[in-house]
Amino acid sequence: MSIILKKNRNLAFPGLLWFLVFFILPLSVILIYSITERSLVSGEPVRFTVDNFIQVFQKKHYLVILLRSLRISLFTTVISIAFSYPVAYFLAKKTKADRILVVILMVPFWINYLIRTFAWKLILSDNGILNQVLLGLRIIDEPVRIMYTQTSVLLGLVYTYTPMMVLPLYASLLRIDDSLIEASLDLGASRARAFFDITFRLSLTGIFAGTLLVFIPALGSFAIPAILGGTDSVMIGNMIENQFNLVGNWNAGSAFTLSLAVLSIVLVLFYSRIFGLESIYRNRGL
Amino acid sequence: MKTGRAIGLRIYTALFFLYIFTPLILIFIFAWNSGEGYVFPLQGFTWRWFMEFFRDRSAQKSIGNSLIIAISSATISTVLASLLTIGLLKGKFRRPELYITFLMLPVLMPSLTIGIAALVFFRTVNLPSGIPVVILAHVSISMSYVFLIMMSRIESISLSLQEAALDLGASWSMSVKDIVLPNLMPAMVAGWLFAFMVSWNEFIVTYFLIGNNTTLPIYIFSQLRFGISPKVNVISVLVTLFTLMIIFILISARGLYRRVASG
Repeated sequence: MSIILKKNRNLAFPGLLWFLVFFILPLSVILIYSITERSLVSGEPVRFTVDNFIQVFQKKHYLVILLRSLRISLFTTVISIAFSYPVAYFLAKKTKADRILVVILMVPFWINYLIRTFAWKLILSDNGILNQVLLGLRIIDEPVRIMYTQTSVLLGLVYTYTPMMVLPLYASLLRIDDSLIEASLDLGASRARAFFDITFRLSLTGIFAGTLLVFIPALGSFAIPAILGGTDSVMIGNMIENQFNLVGNWNAGSAFTLSLAVLSIVLVLFYSRIFGLESIYRNRGL
Repeated sequence: MKTGRAIGLRIYTALFFLYIFTPLILIFIFAWNSGEGYVFPLQGFTWRWFMEFFRDRSAQKSIGNSLIIAISSATISTVLASLLTIGLLKGKFRRPELYITFLMLPVLMPSLTIGIAALVFFRTVNLPSGIPVVILAHVSISMSYVFLIMMSRIESISLSLQEAALDLGASWSMSVKDIVLPNLMPAMVAGWLFAFMVSWNEFIVTYFLIGNNTTLPIYIFSQLRFGISPKVNVISVLVTLFTLMIIFILISARGLYRRVASG
């Protein structure tokens, strides 16, 4: 064992061991649950099965929730790209105060998202602030029902995760060399063409990184649909919680959980193949 | 034409910031509003909800639990992740990027999967729910964040100085105390604060592992389920102020780091 820290690879082992025991091992345990019947600790002989996965597609109820979750997360991602692109562009190209503005933008992100979701409940409920304003301005005659629908869940998710889209977009736009755009304009390209062929194309890294940071947590969200949603806006997260806390079917619950985990791992690996890993952590703007 | 577009972008960005901050501003306003409901026009100024909060033992207990969990998990994960980063980046691992990919997973995977996996795992090995297992689970999440912070900094720091100090006759403990730690300290402080905030805000994993106990996010969640009371506004105001303080320290720690690194 070398006494010089620089040469000492053993220093990595306590952390790696912790990671193996308290992160990789738990994932392996749910893998085992998802391909077996009944509890592992019940003492009965273990039987392997793929039924836990198949029933997701057999029971209509599960399939509806699955498709709805994918749709809501997809909408969340698309809306957050549309919302944040102009802001990221402004921050990267049109202002010198960008660093401080980025810090300010991240302030709400650090405040517990339950608190922010609570604020949306105040705004969206039947006698909430939005309805009061709309009634006061005579735009509507009676309160609009937004709370406890898929719309309120979508609004909550977009609000919570849009800052995660702004950061990588801003970082990717910041890296674009303005002289490329000037050159294309000098060579006769229109402004629109210069934007789509250069700026937009080079910001695709940011869009993909942001998509990872928005789509995955939105798909796995649990508290936001639980607080803002109603019976028609149950998402995978709530369904998984039910399997463990109400139904008590650990095998099916593990299969759902594992599918979610595998999906996110595949997305991350796919991304790191194309863009390289370092761009994910550089883009997080820590 | 060109300036018109720039002004449009400026207005849009201002509206975006308004959108991001309006919910928080509303929470602040209603923390001091004396009316029962959340109705405009405002009823008048009051400290009543603050008084109610300070009489609420269960809220205070949940804050205490959150602090215990956040401080212990941040400390453990900072120590583990600092050693891990040095060993992994400077210790000649074959294919370090493979390890880095795996270490990214807790950051990029939905917390729900981490929470469920931890719940099933701890039940299977028969560890009871409660604060200790929450700390264990929080460490394995926040370790990845600290690792990410340490990684970009350790890459830029040369640890050869320690070798030089040893060659010149310094003892091992002196070389660590005088050379290595001062170099790493700003990044470790930033990592610790980040880990603290991750744990302090963490809800889903805690929800599955905490058992009958509560932390602050769990307390807020249960309050939201029962319907809403201005007491939640008071908690939000206090948490927001506390958070702003931590962010301020975090930024100063980063500034300190830049000064150390550049001079």
